[in-house]
Amino acid sequence: MADKNNDPVVLWQTMIGEMEKGFNSFANQAMASPEFSKVMNQAGGVAAGAQRQLGDLMEKYLLAMNLPSRAQLVGMAERLQSIEGQLNEIKALLQQVHHNSAAPAEGYGTPRPPRTRQPPSPDGGLK
Amino acid sequence: MNASAGLSVAGLDLADIPDRIQSEVQRAIQRSIKGVEYFSSSGPSLGSTPKDILHVRGTMNLYHYRPVEDEIYRVPILIVMATTNRGYILDMVPGQSFIEFLLKRGYDVYMLDWTAPKPEEKGLRMEDYVLDFIPDCIRRVQQDSGETDVTVIGYCFGGVLSLLYGSIFNEGPMKNLICFTTPIDFREMKLFQNFADKRYFDVDRLIDSVGNVPPEMILSSFEMLRPASRAASQVQLWENIWNDEFVKSYRMFDRWATDTLPLAGEYFRDITRDLMWDNKLFNGTMSVGGRKADIADIKVPILHAVAEHDHIVPYDAAKHLIAKVGSDDKEEVMLKGGHVSLVAGANAIRRLWPKLDSWLGGRST
Repeated sequence: MADKNNDPVVLWQTMIGEMEKGFNSFANQAMASPEFSKVMNQAGGVAAGAQRQLGDLMEKYLLAMNLPSRAQLVGMAERLQSIEGQLNEIKALLQQVHHNSAAPAEGYGTPRPPRTRQPPSPDGGLK
Repeated sequence: MNASAGLSVAGLDLADIPDRIQSEVQRAIQRSIKGVEYFSSSGPSLGSTPKDILHVRGTMNLYHYRPVEDEIYRVPILIVMATTNRGYILDMVPGQSFIEFLLKRGYDVYMLDWTAPKPEEKGLRMEDYVLDFIPDCIRRVQQDSGETDVTVIGYCFGGVLSLLYGSIFNEGPMKNLICFTTPIDFREMKLFQNFADKRYFDVDRLIDSVGNVPPEMILSSFEMLRPASRAASQVQLWENIWNDEFVKSYRMFDRWATDTLPLAGEYFRDITRDLMWDNKLFNGTMSVGGRKADIADIKVPILHAVAEHDHIVPYDAAKHLIAKVGSDDKEEVMLKGGHVSLVAGANAIRRLWPKLDSWLGGRST
């Protein structure tokens, strides 16, 4: 059998692993500096500002095109969400009513198992 | 007998070379075939353990997994998922699902999972999560199960939310608390600390600009912790693409890791100010919605599982949890693995899940 230390495939995999570790370690050291944080956050701030300006511009454009504004869509989404929530409440109530109704002995749905389980005893069997 | 047997060059047995070449050629062919398959097929279906949606409200989703055993433990479990990621990490595929494991061991399992907060939910704050969503889910679990006591399991930041909930509602109904890789000393999350350096990071400007924090930003900040790992994992995928099991596992974890959720803007602002900047959870000065949240007030049995090689929540950030909670019955268990492999995958199946079952079984009756 080939010696694992000299197997070219194993060597390649080890090399990739070591390169990954080395690069991660180097990058982590660089990213731990205050200078990195400053540059990263400056760039992030510019991007966020640009995104906001673009958003404002789009809002005006949509208005000019006689399309629904963002606020109107958000309002509609909120109403839909509220309807969705109420439907879920009704569904839960119906399930509860169904659960409590005089169902046949075998029940309509899946019966819940009894909550009587005990942990296994140290010798492996159930207590 | 082969004449070259026994001869070796640089540790390679010459007799093995033809076999080795043949095996590598076969793998190269397989790579080409499987590579085409990879790009033309979707990954395995995840999160498929049968469940019922008990309640949905905005970003909050409460599921109940259908019991599979004839007899279950009295105390139900509510799993609180991290707000940055999807809950299916705990329910990958049959045989590799923490949820399935719990059901087969006789637990009644509920999960509080999150979907992306909508733009109109940008005003959600820490208090909405701790004083509204979790208590609401606990109430619904109580109603559905008919039991007063509930065990809470929190993963990563879900653990932080569970700790805050347990600190405030320390008279019950939480009966047991299990945290997976939960940070409490945010000074020790060194790189995140540097990214959020108060001198340079203008959280107000960010939130006022974007509303909710976009998932790409969350994902980038996670990936920056190990910037070479994505490229290295793709090399590894190509090497192992002939191996169906490897590819299946890669696709599952890759899909989950990149399926990051946005964070509600005000919630992110609270996290940055209270935890990243002021380290209030560690200092015992945290309050949520005007209510004191000191983990020293938690008195229930608690298990904290931490990973030896966790690069997201380093041990130094998590290690004070057990010392700081007020419980008498408390245990920390450190297991091999990383932030994700602690809870999912082969490592978790062998180590964490059996440990959790042996700890929780006796406390669930």
